Amino acid sequence: MRREPAWLTVLTATGLGLWLVVAIFPFLWMILISFRSPVDAFSVPPELFAPFTLENFRRIWLVDGFWHYGISTLVVTFFTVLISLGIGCLAGYALSRYGGMLGFWLLLGALVFRAMPHVVLLTAYKPAFFELGLWSRYETLIIVYVAINQPFTIWMLRSFFVNIPRELDEAALGNYLGQSRHMDKLMLGIAGAVSITLPLIVLVLLFQKYLVSGLTQGAVKG
Amino acid sequence: MRRGTFLAFVAPSLVAMLLLIAVPLAGVAWIAVHNSHVETALAEVTTEVPMFGGVTRKVTRLVPQPVLDEAGEAITTWEYVGGAEIARAAELERVGEALTRDRGDLPITEKLSGVHSDIVNLDFWDALEFTLLYTFLTTPFVLGIGFALALAVNRVTERLRGTLVFATLLPMIITPVVSALSIYWLFIDDAVISSLLQQMGFEKLYFLGSELTIRSIIIFHGVWSATPFAFILLYAGLQTVPHETLEAARVDGANRWQATWAVTVPHLAPLFAVIALIHLMDAYRVFEPILVFGSSVYANSLQHLTYFVLAFQDNIHKAAAYALLTVAGIVILLIPVLRHTWREQKGLG
Repeated sequence: MRREPAWLTVLTATGLGLWLVVAIFPFLWMILISFRSPVDAFSVPPELFAPFTLENFRRIWLVDGFWHYGISTLVVTFFTVLISLGIGCLAGYALSRYGGMLGFWLLLGALVFRAMPHVVLLTAYKPAFFELGLWSRYETLIIVYVAINQPFTIWMLRSFFVNIPRELDEAALGNYLGQSRHMDKLMLGIAGAVSITLPLIVLVLLFQKYLVSGLTQGAVKG
Repeated sequence: MRRGTFLAFVAPSLVAMLLLIAVPLAGVAWIAVHNSHVETALAEVTTEVPMFGGVTRKVTRLVPQPVLDEAGEAITTWEYVGGAEIARAAELERVGEALTRDRGDLPITEKLSGVHSDIVNLDFWDALEFTLLYTFLTTPFVLGIGFALALAVNRVTERLRGTLVFATLLPMIITPVVSALSIYWLFIDDAVISSLLQQMGFEKLYFLGSELTIRSIIIFHGVWSATPFAFILLYAGLQTVPHETLEAARVDGANRWQATWAVTVPHLAPLFAVIALIHLMDAYRVFEPILVFGSSVYANSLQHLTYFVLAFQDNIHKAAAYALLTVAGIVILLIPVLRHTWREQKGLG
């Protein structure tokens, strides 16, 4: 490689430095004021140094029962990821191996479904779930999350399976009782897909928490 | 793979999507073209009204009461209204008024701005305007800044990269409500940003008190929270750019920018398209910042408007009408993409 000119290094460093401040500062400030009493947290003008207190944390953990919400989130997330990956892997694998038009239409449909604003679905869920008596239940929330995440999940898993050569499938199928070297490779491929997808799906789940759970789960938590 | 096997494999996923996405969509369309009311009839109701000193008086009045069926449930009547509810939700009548209103002989620009301000006075059009503004203003920044960051991090020594990537991803990893709050707290009156600017000699600013500033902040939040996503995909993409081609371009006399522009950007073009598409879908359903900033007066979004009607006005027909219009909007935005994919598929087949 050629030597980098100095101005480029300066530009890179300044740009990255500026971005880091913008990216992190809001969170740093939030952490800072979380250790203050309300008066100090929103003092006018804001101070960089103020008395330190853990009172806010004591209150949300011990008085307000914040861990209830934490457990709700964990339970819902765990089962959603489990079911999403289960049925998503099947569909993703089939989509990567099937050549017909049906697969194309399914992917195109999933793309349109991916674009649906969730409040649209909520408008239908609300009267329907009330009528069926399913409103405000963990099972309902999990199934809804699984369904609205399927478009993204199958697109993603399909693109992983496309990269695993087809010959491996057959070799693995032929030999799965004998030498299992190929099976190992296939399994590794699947494991790789799952391990990369898993955190991403968890992320996506955390992302859309508010809107849907705000209505379907509010009562469970409250 | 045979068709039967394929269908068996995709069945669970397909059923989930049909049952919880396709059927609800059809349901929303159905609710939007219907109207419902609880059947009432006037009935004599006798109540004891207290007067004084424990003396009561019996009063009988004619009061509308819900009509009950045999099971004791109130009877709700559904009635087909066609596009009436949708037209009312979009306030088409008042849009027509705004367009045809006599504005005297003002210059054409002022007439147009008059029409514009009359139309965005209506809930739906106001939300539509900001949703589109947000979608199209954030997209170029997200792509541009994301790409610049990817190029920059790619040049940094290996040792620092992990930390940099993590720090860069923070605004995306944190849930939207919390990340919106963290920005909100910086901009409330007399908070960090406002007092910093005051110390630097600017006038006192009320960021949350005017349309321009609050819209800018929400758009800033949009760029800030979506850029990491573009960054991480482009950063991964940069690792696959062929080194030899880049070197060859440099040897042929291309400078740094030309090499980036002629080799790296075309190589990453499909990735740019995917990021733009996903960001478009996500930006169109912006919701959390509107909620956190409480900005629906100055900057509302279609999703927030529908949510508000559904949750607080409890009017499912109006909400369904808004929802249907929201879907129409995203489908129109997606048409170019769908057509492109369709052509590509036909070319292959």
